[in-house]
Amino acid sequence: MAPKRKKGGVEEGEVRAQEEVEVEEEEEDEEEEELAFSRNYFLAKEVGSASGKRSAARKVSEINLVDEQLLRASLSELPTKHEKEIGSLLESYKGLYSNWLFELRCSFGLLMYGFGSKKALLEDFASTTLTSYTVVVINGYLASVNLKQVMTTVAEILWEHYKCKAKTSTGKKQQTQLPSGLKSVDDIVTFIVDISDDCNCSVCLLIHNIDGPALRDPDSQQHLARVSCCSCIRLVASIDHVNAPLLWDKKMVYTQFKWSWHHVPTFVPYKVEGLFNPLILFSSGHVQTTKTALVVLQSLTPNAQSVFRVLAEFQLANEKEEGMHVSELYTKCREQFLVSSQVTLNAHLTEFKDHKLVKMRRHSDGQDCLHIPLPTNALEKLLQELV
Amino acid sequence: MAKHQSSPESASSQDANSQDANHTLEPFFVLHKAQPQATVVEKVSRSGKGRKKGTKSSPKSPEKSKRTTSDEQPSNTLYEQWRFKAFNEIWSLIQSNIEGVLRDINLKLFNEVLQWVEDSFSEIKSNVKLSSSEIQQPYPLVADTLFRKIPTAFVLTKNAEFVDDIQTFCDLGSHLKSNRCHVANMSALDFSLKYGIGGSVRSLLRQLHSEPLDGKIADMFTLAKWYCENNNKPIVVMIDDMECCNADVLGNFIAMLSEWVMKIPIFFIMGVATTIEAPKNMLPSDALQHLDPCKLTLGTPSDRMNSLVESVLVEVCYCFSLGHEVSVFLRNYFLRHDGTITSFISALKLACSKHFSLESVSFLCLCMLDQDSEERWSEKFVYLPESMKRCILNLHSCKREKNLQGDVGSIIQLLSDLKASQRCWSSVVLCLFEVARHSKMQFLDIFCEATDPEVYCMNNSDNSSKEHFKCRDKNSTERSSSGVASLTRVIHTIREMPVAALSNLLDKWNNHTEEMTEINEEIEKLQSLLASVNEGKVYEENLHNIRNRKSLSVLSGKGNSPNEKVAMLLDAMIRKYMKSIECMTLHEIICFRDVDVLRSALIGDPRKTIQLDLLKCHSYLSCSCCSSDAKSLSPSMHDTSIMYKLAQEYGDVINLYEWYQSFKTVLSSASHTPRKRGRPSPASKKAKPSPASETEALIQARFCGAVTELQISGLLHMPTKRRPDFIQRIAFGL
Repeated sequence: MAPKRKKGGVEEGEVRAQEEVEVEEEEEDEEEEELAFSRNYFLAKEVGSASGKRSAARKVSEINLVDEQLLRASLSELPTKHEKEIGSLLESYKGLYSNWLFELRCSFGLLMYGFGSKKALLEDFASTTLTSYTVVVINGYLASVNLKQVMTTVAEILWEHYKCKAKTSTGKKQQTQLPSGLKSVDDIVTFIVDISDDCNCSVCLLIHNIDGPALRDPDSQQHLARVSCCSCIRLVASIDHVNAPLLWDKKMVYTQFKWSWHHVPTFVPYKVEGLFNPLILFSSGHVQTTKTALVVLQSLTPNAQSVFRVLAEFQLANEKEEGMHVSELYTKCREQFLVSSQVTLNAHLTEFKDHKLVKMRRHSDGQDCLHIPLPTNALEKLLQELV
Repeated sequence: MAKHQSSPESASSQDANSQDANHTLEPFFVLHKAQPQATVVEKVSRSGKGRKKGTKSSPKSPEKSKRTTSDEQPSNTLYEQWRFKAFNEIWSLIQSNIEGVLRDINLKLFNEVLQWVEDSFSEIKSNVKLSSSEIQQPYPLVADTLFRKIPTAFVLTKNAEFVDDIQTFCDLGSHLKSNRCHVANMSALDFSLKYGIGGSVRSLLRQLHSEPLDGKIADMFTLAKWYCENNNKPIVVMIDDMECCNADVLGNFIAMLSEWVMKIPIFFIMGVATTIEAPKNMLPSDALQHLDPCKLTLGTPSDRMNSLVESVLVEVCYCFSLGHEVSVFLRNYFLRHDGTITSFISALKLACSKHFSLESVSFLCLCMLDQDSEERWSEKFVYLPESMKRCILNLHSCKREKNLQGDVGSIIQLLSDLKASQRCWSSVVLCLFEVARHSKMQFLDIFCEATDPEVYCMNNSDNSSKEHFKCRDKNSTERSSSGVASLTRVIHTIREMPVAALSNLLDKWNNHTEEMTEINEEIEKLQSLLASVNEGKVYEENLHNIRNRKSLSVLSGKGNSPNEKVAMLLDAMIRKYMKSIECMTLHEIICFRDVDVLRSALIGDPRKTIQLDLLKCHSYLSCSCCSSDAKSLSPSMHDTSIMYKLAQEYGDVINLYEWYQSFKTVLSSASHTPRKRGRPSPASKKAKPSPASETEALIQARFCGAVTELQISGLLHMPTKRRPDFIQRIAFGL
């Protein structure tokens, strides 16, 4: 998140920005070229011929799209095909529950894969069979999962048991809260690993989509792996992405997670899992961009947010304008005591540009200007949510 | 308890009314707490680590197990507990064997390392004597690089994968700790660019300090202070996978420690996977000049594998063993997958747990561990209900035995035979290994061949058991890929052995075959023969006398060289005693044979399987409305499945418009004929009772839903801004 340090004034910043735009375009071209040669010969040929006919390729806009709200409404009410068969498929897996439990007790982690949402199946398994475990469910498909909070909860559960055990064995009064030194996830995980041998309770982490957006990063996977090899913790997880195994190295697979794979296709629609994915026919719409922009903005300082707000308000007020001059933005921000110098503003702008919140554009008067690449209504929504 | 985060998504959620829906949008929640009585059961089973002598696994109250069929559920739980107990005991036995073997293999190296540490430490101690206040001061700076060298042992692991070495380094750490060293076991994660050198020092201190570093600053002064309190011991810093560390961070770490090396005696032990050149290529020269290197080498994975096969697969084969196909699969898994012992052990554990989880009568194997197995079985069978006895008699190997009497006595007799046969089998295989050791053959190849029931049947062609295996799957690819004729090679090796080696071999065979009197006698005779050969007193008449004695008909062969006789003895042992477990009745109790179960649990292949799920959804759903033909499309099929089948017709990229139109055509067609992609003909649009826009909305919703599902499965890339009308396929082919 730290802004790149750049010395120099506005001009240099602008030149850099222009260069960046050019580089970006080049990169996209390269990406396209790469695509053509990335596959085997025949596929490359096919793409080549497709690109020849590109002018004739049909566009999504040619589809007679219905209103997005109507589409979302019908999506949520879609009747499930083969409901009966899916039901009996799920029923057939119930016979395997005892085997799954057996493997879990043998200290393997259960990894469920196969097409279809496995949420209901796994929660049914947990609530009917894993009664001897305290089950913590992690909805990994949500981008909002915060591993630190999850680990704190697990640590609290273990700590409770640890305290009880220590009290009965030593008779000493123990502290009632978690030790105060636990500041980072790393500390909490270390704490869990340390006390797990002395805990006589069993916690089962049920992770829907361990390959989900918030858990996909190597650090989260490392933390989960370290926790999963604790003696009192068991892991039941599901994956949906075909490339999910790439998340783990051999150490994690063989010595930490100790996966036992289970192929359990359910064909249950991914209703919750896909709730926040943009609809393909409206993917150029605002749902995702507003959301992502909001996430980025929320992580910035209040001053940076205010600078963005100044720019956004200008853009909303002058829809026909191509953008706002940097000098104009500087003046306005200075008036509101948001920035003290051009350098501070440049730092903010670099941050915006890095996250594609703002783009540089050549104004018709020849000067460079700033522009937020969001449609008006999306921008309005963003400003409302930014409060 | 859990401070649930309010997610930005929750604002856009539409069905957050019910409790269930709330849970789906919460990042995490506690589903339920452990039920106390259930925890007790778990605790009992968890404490089953390590076999306690004298404990009997028969039920505590006989009444409990004498249940009627209505009581089947609880009794199933009881048998499951027995099986779990059996798994725990057998696996802890196997695991302790594994640990022992690996420890023994590495012990030589460990002692070398210890010697090196002690020598270097005493050298430093003899040269420098500092007071604790001097140690804690950074000054005077040591400018001369000669005095800033850290003794460093590069341990060549000879292993491309460091996963095997993690345990080795842990063991080395405990070995050093138990021999008056402070040890910090660090890995590549501690030398990452993200946390920098601060992270490395912090990790080092955290490992050396017995209590947490609350509030203390992790720097060299803290280390120096700590060292003053725990003086007179060398500090050994072990880095198991040096090549995975960030070179700059590690370089800085080395440079920093080198400034203190005269005050705090630090030693490095670094695992190097490739060659001794690796540190030179990797580390910056200013860090390299502070290292005083020394080279040590670990044993190769194949040596370790040989020892494991010997002590784990063969020596404990009478209580858990692997079928031929599973053995061959595991061998290929080791040789072709990644060649790591760790993956082999985890596969073995999985096989073991699958065996006890799936084989209902597998708990009977526990009695095999006892000396008085028969007595234990008799006790057990008293409490076994009829249903369980039927289970035993319904085992495949029991069914093929035509003359089997179903009474308890005969079952116990069969079990005893099984145990005895396995003991003989393992003795013969151990003898084979002794020869293989001489010719550097892989034990695993021999093991695979020794487990092959066909080898036994071929050797005993008159044996009626041959017909039992005709039903086996001849197309099995596992079978054909096993090492061919390892046994022949072993016998050939004996023929070419020098006399001294042969004599050694016979000594070892003598130990292995102590329980087999017949063989033992023959070996002793051969030993005396060899002794006379050594003394140059081979008398033709003596040989003649020996030849005349017919017991195993070993010595009556044409060959008269001692080598030939030993080879013939081995051949006779193989023929008579190396009876593959799969030829035995009741082998299912101790033998795991289900290679498909193991393969699917071990190697989940989501990339292939998820695509297959979509292309062959009918085989899972088996509905009456859709065609089972993989290529046909019908509107009743799962939407995502239709979409994925349609996507197969495209190349790298899919035109969204065309894809949508094809999908629409399929959905709105009543016929079940497969359709090519293309623009819809007006005729295919059927008039629907609902308004057109509603139908359109439904189709579009289905389309969007299906694309989202494919995206979740990772089979598609969403359109880029530059090409909003094209979607990119990711997975090609199965």
